Amino acid sequence: MDSIKMNRRKLLKLLGAGGALAAAGPLASPAFAARTAGRVVGVGGGFGGATAAKYLKRLQPGLDVTLVEPAREFYTCPFSNLYLGGMRQMEQIVHGYDTLKNRYGIKVVHQYAEDVDGEAHTVRLANGETLPYDKLVLSPGIDIDFEGLEGYDEAAAEKLPHAWKAGDQTRLLRSQLEAMDDGGTFILSAPDNPFRCPPGPYERVSQIAHYFSQHKPRSKILLLDAKDAFSKQGLFMDGWREVYGDMIEWVGLSDDGRVVRVDADSRELESEFGEIHRGDVVNVVPPQKAGAIAHRAGVTNGSGWVPVKPHTFESQQVDDIYVVGDATIAAPMPKSGFCANAQARVTAAAIVAELNGQDPLDPVWTNTCYSVIAPEYGISVAGVYRVIDGEIREVEGSGGVSPRDADAAFRRREAEYAVQWYNAIVQDTWETRGLQKTLT
Amino acid sequence: MSRTRSLVTTSWSRRDFLRISGAGAVTLGMMMVSPSLLARSRPWARHDAIMELLDGAEPDTSGVTLELPSVSEDGSNISLTVRVDSAQENGEYVKSIHLFAPDNPNPEIAVFHLTPLSGQAQIATRIRLNESQRVFAVAKLSDGSFRIGSQDARVTVSGCLTDDATYDSSGLMQARVRTPRSLRPGEVGEVLTIINHPMETGFREDADGNTIPRRIIHSFVAELDGETVLRADFHPSLAANPYLRFHVKPNGSGGTLALEWTDDEGETTREEAELSVS
Repeated sequence: MDSIKMNRRKLLKLLGAGGALAAAGPLASPAFAARTAGRVVGVGGGFGGATAAKYLKRLQPGLDVTLVEPAREFYTCPFSNLYLGGMRQMEQIVHGYDTLKNRYGIKVVHQYAEDVDGEAHTVRLANGETLPYDKLVLSPGIDIDFEGLEGYDEAAAEKLPHAWKAGDQTRLLRSQLEAMDDGGTFILSAPDNPFRCPPGPYERVSQIAHYFSQHKPRSKILLLDAKDAFSKQGLFMDGWREVYGDMIEWVGLSDDGRVVRVDADSRELESEFGEIHRGDVVNVVPPQKAGAIAHRAGVTNGSGWVPVKPHTFESQQVDDIYVVGDATIAAPMPKSGFCANAQARVTAAAIVAELNGQDPLDPVWTNTCYSVIAPEYGISVAGVYRVIDGEIREVEGSGGVSPRDADAAFRRREAEYAVQWYNAIVQDTWETRGLQKTLT
Repeated sequence: MSRTRSLVTTSWSRRDFLRISGAGAVTLGMMMVSPSLLARSRPWARHDAIMELLDGAEPDTSGVTLELPSVSEDGSNISLTVRVDSAQENGEYVKSIHLFAPDNPNPEIAVFHLTPLSGQAQIATRIRLNESQRVFAVAKLSDGSFRIGSQDARVTVSGCLTDDATYDSSGLMQARVRTPRSLRPGEVGEVLTIINHPMETGFREDADGNTIPRRIIHSFVAELDGETVLRADFHPSLAANPYLRFHVKPNGSGGTLALEWTDDEGETTREEAELSVS
């Protein structure tokens, strides 16, 4: 009985559900702890995939869990903007898989997953190996849609980096910023919804403004946007004015901010109505779609993203394939690392329940997105989500954004919370450490 | 995380329901055979504005394509493209395209009156949706017949998007236009326009709780040397800063394309562009 109780307690804790779920009862079956059968393969070692693998093993240690991820180490997009701003080193946003392997007994396979056969329940790896599964968790994140913006292909991305997957692209953008002369112009082109990390482009220009203000104070930042409204807009614009004066100019959709063509060699961006903007450093955040393996597995729809069943995040199109994170259509939940982590925990619980012949629980997900405008200036948005009338909805009255009229101490505390948030989520996902307590 | 509330107990899933009923398919089947069967096959039938337009005519349900995102994270500005598969020339053309958002406070979105000079019955614009719903497009053809198409659109405000609608009134009625540099004889050119305007619906309240009066651009006309290419009536369900992408097929050697917008206060903006055909 002890082990049963522990499992139940863990599950409840991970769902953040408190005591009310105890009445649901499906975990009271002795079979829950006793069953060991079940092979689960996870593809993608980011916030979604690593979290799912870990919680599957926590909930049912007897499960055979394999995590497929080509990279030996994972660079997080969260805090990669802080690297661009000079507030973090790349070594502080990289995470490995040792604890997941050694402590949880997850098999981590550093291979690229090439294809999925949903009928046969197999994943084919680049080395030719085939992994059979009972349940598959895909957490492939995003791919850049290189068909989505004229002139922006893989070669162009080597000149005008997107840096929307952390790692080499982020380093490339930073080196271009370092090479730029004082007085130069940095341009960021932001895409229409949906895209990974809705506040990301706006935090990024904040961080680059921080770098400029310290090293290249005569430089300018132009943000061309395919939208008329963006995440935490009022808070960002207040912060830009307060901290960086008029360094950052934002041009929205209705002011012809949408970029429709890029010329990588001349570093020129053409707007919808034909205006040409030339930058000294140009960062194109391009249109995006679900990662390649989701398309191979047949779980994407015409939108390029993955429709999922709200309670479990099982694919609506292929049985026994669960998809979490940025690749999914989970709106109003944003495409954030935090959501991927939250979805993965719910999905791990749903898979364990299903393997034990139980119904999935009624889930709750939370999200918090911190954005760091300057070392002592943080802002946030938070939300709580549930399945209501068969679709994911934000719980009315939950969450919210930082107040517009907060004082400097409040902004400083939120910047500190951002660091604590980062340390906590990487601990939960990879059981690795964030390296510093503060940003300065 | 601390804001998470306690859960209520598991709700009845559909699977539970099917399992308990033990005869899922039959039960579901019976639920679907209802008096609304007819309405399901003619989903526009319960919308007065559409029925009024049809005036007893039975529309063809093929040949009208509506494109809009299946999920939108900002209901105040949703891209929409409507296309009617039809010739667009003297004798046989699409006379008008009517867009409806039946669950908006104001179901009419816009009406586009086309001519053979339009060259192609395709319009792109941006609309407002108050909530998730099915959007309809009705086309009236030159022979008096109707076609209808529809598309479901889900609206959800993303957790990372705040509703921070601020409108900058500087530059009101300022337009941007993009026209083709030159066209070959018989070629259909694309015209792109946007005009700065809040399209105030008349449903909003200011900070003191007073209703902000309606003020929208209600009409748009495009003429080529005085002949109508496109005439449009806009309603409050069109998004702020009306955006329009339409087509023109000049006769002969082209001419002057004149575009004119008029709003509720009687303010107008006129833009002209030369279209050369060679």
